[in-house]
Amino acid sequence: MTSLDAHRVADAVWKMESARIVAGLVRMVGDVGLAEELAQDAVLAALEQWPEAGVPDNPGAWLMAVAKRRAVDHLRREERRDRGQEQLAHDLASRPDDGERDVDDVVNALDGEVGDDVLRLMFVSCHPVLSTEARVALTLRLIGGLRTDEIARAFLVSESAVAQRIVRAKRALADAHVPFEVPSGPDRAARLSSVLEVIYLVFNEGYAATAGDELMRPSLCLEALRLGRVLAELTPDEAEVHGLVALMELQQSRSAARTGPSGEPVVLHEQNRGRWDPLLIRRGFAALLRARQAGGPLGPYVLQAAIAACHAGAATPEETDWPQIAALYEALVRVLPTPVAQLNRAVALAMAYGPRAGLTLVDTLTGEPALKGYHLLPAVRGDLLARLHRHDEARTEFERAASLTRNSSERAVLLRRAATCAEEAGKAGETGKAAETGKARGAGETGEAGETRGKAKETGEAAEAGGKAAEAGEAGLADAHVTLGGAAGLFLARPDLSADTMRSYRQTLTRLCRHLGENAPLRDVTSHRVAEVFAAAWGTAAGATWNRHRAALRSFATWAAERGWAAADLAASLDRRPEPRARTRSIDRSRLESLWKRPDIPLRERTLWLLLYESAAPAEWALSLNVEDLDLPGMRGEVKARGHWLRWQSDTAALLPLLVEGRRRGPLFLADRRPGPGRMPVAADLCPDTGRGRLSYERAEYLFKRATADVDPEGSGCTLHRLRHSRLAHLGEDGWSAPMLMSLSGHGSVRTLHGFVRIPRPADTVA
Amino acid sequence: MRFLMTTKGGSRTPDAAMMAEMGAFIEEMTRTGVLLATGGLEPGGLRMISSGGEITVTDGPFTEAKEAIVSFALIEARSREEAVELARGFWKIVGDGEGSVQRVFGPEDAPGPGPR
Repeated sequence: MTSLDAHRVADAVWKMESARIVAGLVRMVGDVGLAEELAQDAVLAALEQWPEAGVPDNPGAWLMAVAKRRAVDHLRREERRDRGQEQLAHDLASRPDDGERDVDDVVNALDGEVGDDVLRLMFVSCHPVLSTEARVALTLRLIGGLRTDEIARAFLVSESAVAQRIVRAKRALADAHVPFEVPSGPDRAARLSSVLEVIYLVFNEGYAATAGDELMRPSLCLEALRLGRVLAELTPDEAEVHGLVALMELQQSRSAARTGPSGEPVVLHEQNRGRWDPLLIRRGFAALLRARQAGGPLGPYVLQAAIAACHAGAATPEETDWPQIAALYEALVRVLPTPVAQLNRAVALAMAYGPRAGLTLVDTLTGEPALKGYHLLPAVRGDLLARLHRHDEARTEFERAASLTRNSSERAVLLRRAATCAEEAGKAGETGKAAETGKARGAGETGEAGETRGKAKETGEAAEAGGKAAEAGEAGLADAHVTLGGAAGLFLARPDLSADTMRSYRQTLTRLCRHLGENAPLRDVTSHRVAEVFAAAWGTAAGATWNRHRAALRSFATWAAERGWAAADLAASLDRRPEPRARTRSIDRSRLESLWKRPDIPLRERTLWLLLYESAAPAEWALSLNVEDLDLPGMRGEVKARGHWLRWQSDTAALLPLLVEGRRRGPLFLADRRPGPGRMPVAADLCPDTGRGRLSYERAEYLFKRATADVDPEGSGCTLHRLRHSRLAHLGEDGWSAPMLMSLSGHGSVRTLHGFVRIPRPADTVA
Repeated sequence: MRFLMTTKGGSRTPDAAMMAEMGAFIEEMTRTGVLLATGGLEPGGLRMISSGGEITVTDGPFTEAKEAIVSFALIEARSREEAVELARGFWKIVGDGEGSVQRVFGPEDAPGPGPR
């Protein structure tokens, strides 16, 4: 082995093990700076010995053992009077320590404590006595095992600057006598969020490099992910930690698609989703699931991860559930009321309910001091203005954004958009009216936006403006010779279409041309043939997709008819399709009434169903109830895991005593049989009296489906979820307000109550 | 960077203790985010040959059993050395055998001035 090889192996091993080694040493010697020095001594020893003796069998353990030996030597030399330290030095020194054979044993003996040490070290590295920069540098150095020059390169600062930051940080920790511990009590949450902040900062510096020529520095992203996963392993009960990991995994899954062939950034809705990494998406979803299992209120990282998951779950940009994303942002700004979060919410609102809804909110942010100098504010505003055809204003905003960003590839994109706006504005000037009509139309827009979800609304606009655009060459075409392809080309070349609209229209018309032939005379294209193409191409697509293509065709038909090239009713055979949100239909009151009266329903099922109906609570909450959690006179029961009370009414109250029947503890709803020995549930899910387990969701669902098969037109029966929502629908019909329903049912967001009550759209509320 | 670890057949059949140890190892690697995907492969499989636009699918012949790849693991590591260290942990559990570690090229390795 050459010394170069040994060097590389030692570097790799150090990166993998440094957190554990340094953490263990800090616990021994009580000082971060000293611990790191001792650890570095061990690395030096490795570089001396490994080229000749070869890399040891377990190089990580070797480093750890040597470092600990140095620490013991040091403690002896210091001859500390501190009893605790002395005792520890004695313990370690008296361990049998001849050579490397028992190194594994030493390490294994210490292993149980090591995880906690790493966690302590993370909390110390992110301690609030340090500046943010120092926290980042120290964390990367101690937990990530990065060398000073690597950190310097990643953050584009000089090596000496990083070295100084680290030296000062270590001194500050020593001066402040920061204890080597995991904080507890009220301190813990704040300190944990500092750790999360540092990790996310590292990730973001890699993900959206604030300076330099490249858009991303992937090594920093991966480093942050590693840190996040280490933390998640050490704090499995913290939902926010899993939320952060999920957020980073999901964002990282898009990394390959975020830059184009020449390194330019590609925005989310234009990314090739085939290049998203499904392995990372899967891991992101898994982490999000762990976050949900950890419970507690939804924190900022979990919410942001949920938003990222919405994107990851959409196979095409059109399928993105923007209203859901807007609702998540609304929840986010409640827990994280930052202007940046508001700005993102504005973008989501614009996508869900039209550019005007977004612009209204953005305009409230322009005076925000925190956003002064933030390039995305003018960038977003420019985009919304362009979509409203206010090209002159849009250009100014894009230019401002370009002057504010420090990233050169981002700047290029912004300047390109500014140039496009200038062209659009120029054209609009020539034809006179476009900009004006754009403004005039804006006012009416929000009214229809809620219904049509953003895109389709542009139909009306385009048809209106179309007549005014007089393209060269158009007049030269004799009616009889107009082909479908030619007309489509002219239609798409109109100057008054925004880039988004044009892309959307082009999809429709390209498909039409492919089916009917580009050279087909437009005269011969009938509504019947168009309908055939639509049925073949989008017959099975979602309603929103169908409607978008229908809108495009209607716009084209109107435009062509004005020129006398085609019959005006080209789109006549195409009906607008409903765009249902996945909504649960309710079960008739009368059907439920008769269900309650059916004599063949056992007591347990009858009680459960009535309880679910009367409380409108999720079935898993009801199933999680224990006998000891019930407050029978108060007609309520506590869902311990959620800290939420379920409230029922008289029908349930009449049945519950029969169901409880002398039991004092254990699950309220029990399975029919005792569990088999191979599938023994935890003690909390067993009845101490009968030994039976808790009724499972699957079984409860099956029983309800079987009993309601006749209610369901498809014969498969109703879900428990539908039962709950039936109650909400009925209460909504009875005039209950949204807050009343939310407090009853535990729905976290008004959004999910849509359909039960009338809720003001966000567009109304921000205005 | 990503690496594909593959192992060849012919090593000893795993016993219960080794399976348990391997299970723990895989779980640990998955949790720390190192292991992206792993699995065992059926011996042989189908052989496909595309030649002159014609695709033939046959049941063989295959390389000798001890040359055939029987398992794989896709891992994420910061360097080749780190990948080797991770693979070392695997071989310590498996014992005797043979395999390879190959870099998996990603979008960042595309030629030209693309993203790095």
